[in-house]
Amino acid sequence: MNVEEVKSRRAASSIELRNMESEDEMLDAWAGTSDGEFQNKEEEEELDALASDDENDGSDYGFDYSNIDDIQPSSRLPQTNFTVLSEKDIRHRQAEAIATITNFLSISPVDAGVLLRYFKWSISKVNDEWFADEERVRANVGLLEKPATSKRKIDKEMTCGICFEGHPFEKMTAPRCGHYFCETCWTGYIHTAINDGPGCLTLRCADPSCGAAVGEDMVLGLVSNEDQQKYTRYLLRSYVEDNRKVKWCPAPGCEYAVEYQPGVGSYDLVCKCGLNFCWNCREEAHRPVDCETVNKWILKNCAESENMNWILANSKPCPKCKRPIEKNQGCMHITCTPPCKHEFCWLCLGAWTDHGERTGGFYACNRYETAKQEGVYDEAERRREMAKNSLERYTHYYERWATNESSRAKALADLQQMQPVQIEKLSDKQCQPVSQLKFVTDAWLQIVECRRVLKWTYAYGYYLPENEHTKRQFFEYSQGEAEAGLERLHQCAEKDLQTFLEGDNPTSSFNDFRTKLAGLTSVTRTYFENLVRALENNLSDVDNLKGAAKSSSSSKASGSSKSRGGRAKGGSSRSGGSSRSWEEATHWSCEHCTYANTTATSSTVCIICQYPRS
Amino acid sequence: MSAATANTNLPRRIIKETQRLLSEPAPGISASPSEENLRYFNVMILGPSQSPYEGGVFKLELFLPEEYPMAAPKVRFLTKIYHPNIDKLGRICLDILKDKWSPALQIRTVLLSIQALLSAPNPDDPLAENIAKHWKTNEQEAVETAREWTRLYASGA
Repeated sequence: MNVEEVKSRRAASSIELRNMESEDEMLDAWAGTSDGEFQNKEEEEELDALASDDENDGSDYGFDYSNIDDIQPSSRLPQTNFTVLSEKDIRHRQAEAIATITNFLSISPVDAGVLLRYFKWSISKVNDEWFADEERVRANVGLLEKPATSKRKIDKEMTCGICFEGHPFEKMTAPRCGHYFCETCWTGYIHTAINDGPGCLTLRCADPSCGAAVGEDMVLGLVSNEDQQKYTRYLLRSYVEDNRKVKWCPAPGCEYAVEYQPGVGSYDLVCKCGLNFCWNCREEAHRPVDCETVNKWILKNCAESENMNWILANSKPCPKCKRPIEKNQGCMHITCTPPCKHEFCWLCLGAWTDHGERTGGFYACNRYETAKQEGVYDEAERRREMAKNSLERYTHYYERWATNESSRAKALADLQQMQPVQIEKLSDKQCQPVSQLKFVTDAWLQIVECRRVLKWTYAYGYYLPENEHTKRQFFEYSQGEAEAGLERLHQCAEKDLQTFLEGDNPTSSFNDFRTKLAGLTSVTRTYFENLVRALENNLSDVDNLKGAAKSSSSSKASGSSKSRGGRAKGGSSRSGGSSRSWEEATHWSCEHCTYANTTATSSTVCIICQYPRS
Repeated sequence: MSAATANTNLPRRIIKETQRLLSEPAPGISASPSEENLRYFNVMILGPSQSPYEGGVFKLELFLPEEYPMAAPKVRFLTKIYHPNIDKLGRICLDILKDKWSPALQIRTVLLSIQALLSAPNPDDPLAENIAKHWKTNEQEAVETAREWTRLYASGA
């Protein structure tokens, strides 16, 4: 690439700084998306790719989704918004990022690493900050431009300022700042830092007045093998743990990380290990329920409730990284341990930067006092609420939640067992090519997904306020319908399939079975998708319905379902006279299973469930 | 660890620091190692002039842990003192005793920092909340209390 190009690239990168910030915000919220975001995203990727132009483009460490489609229940998730990274991929990306910065800023790879870690692995941020004010960045990060000219004459022997022993000059060492200490003391200093945790990645010179960075070259050159391993492990982890776009897969023992592109699709991801999880809260995937509800629910289910009680009573979660913190001494000014390092006020959990004279100084936080008066921290209130949620009610929802989970696990096991064996057998028996039997797998994938959704609807139900009667009614009705629909599908996929597996000869009715199962799969999928959307909207349709009912009770279903593009379909398509008139000419909706039959195929009996047309 | 084993293999750094503390004491500060345990120091700091602690003699204990100098010394006031950054157990809120510790710091620098803290209390990063509050709301009165306490508990009697 020529010089002009580089310049224009750099110009482009300075635009990104602003956008990166908004992108970071996107990660914080269930945010919608704008075209601007996408464009800048692409720009950044282009920028990243630039450096790797000469190496093989590096684009194929991405995850091949085709494998997972076969076995994973989430095959229908939008799959453009995340990439699964193995340890090798992570190292590759790290090396790539370092190479990019090394090239762009003409600095050493070690310095590039220090910079990238400081700016949380955001290439564009490093570029922008560097070109905006190189001197300031160097000072903050601890990168000296030129090695300090050694102020001392090179004596035969020097005294180390830490151990106070005399050493020959060859045994003394220093970072670029020229603060010489003996190798043993440096090693001890670095060893202590490594064993203190990932803070060792931003280690500074041992001289208290000096902020020079101690880079990985110096660290790895001095310490023991064991420390080297720890340090390189922290280096690897930093790419994931400091990086807002990458997180570890939360499955126990899983070593993959996932990179997420904000702004597209939902938070549900699927790791190469098979775990379906939520980007935001790293619990298992839980649509339609939001993260907060899931968190409450899981906390409630936590078997170690005694431990939990202790943690709740004696610690507060860091408002940024959520790790529980026990305050056993010291002032209200809390600094979370690295890599978080968030500084906050123990009383109000607000950022420390917001504190000062006007919030009442540092010993008594006004913000806390005010909020306390407003009842935000009212402990007694909280306990009363806990008492209200009686154990009985909880047990009801918990049992159903747990049952659906075990059904889901069973269905997944059935599916995995069926895939190689039964499909082969079915193919033999019915003289059908395996490729034509995808509808069976699809049905099972749908069952697994539905069980997952259904499971979470019980957590939703538990937290749906008792006094919202209309919502509760509608919710319970929709849930019941969903359950019934799923049972029909499950029944068909399990029992009906069995007859075709057992029969000796190809059966002519196999095609009917295909139509039926595919139809049921599609109907159930639509129903559940609508249910998920309706619950994610917190059943806002119900409020609309209520409003409509005041003016005219007969038009309630049509008004809502048409304006919302058919959401909450389960409710409306069955109740509305209007939906019948809507498409009566060509379609009719089955009263029983909601399947849209065509009048051309059958005008009296549903082809899916054989239920007579009313 | 018994006193005997603690005193064997005493690092040269500690021996040198001790020697220097004894031979060139910092003004207003004395630190001498205990006879049973050379890592344990009895410290006395004179209240700095023009501070409410002027005229007081404050006793402290200082202990060098096994990891010293990679880890910070542990220091505590034994004399009762009315100060926003020192609590009733004598614990001190000072950054170089915690995350800002560096092995290039020494006993002497630590004690000088504590002496400076007596000259310049910092009620904005308090350890003893009620004292800090007192300091912020009515400094004059708080200073008076500090003087009173100095007279009562640190008059060297």
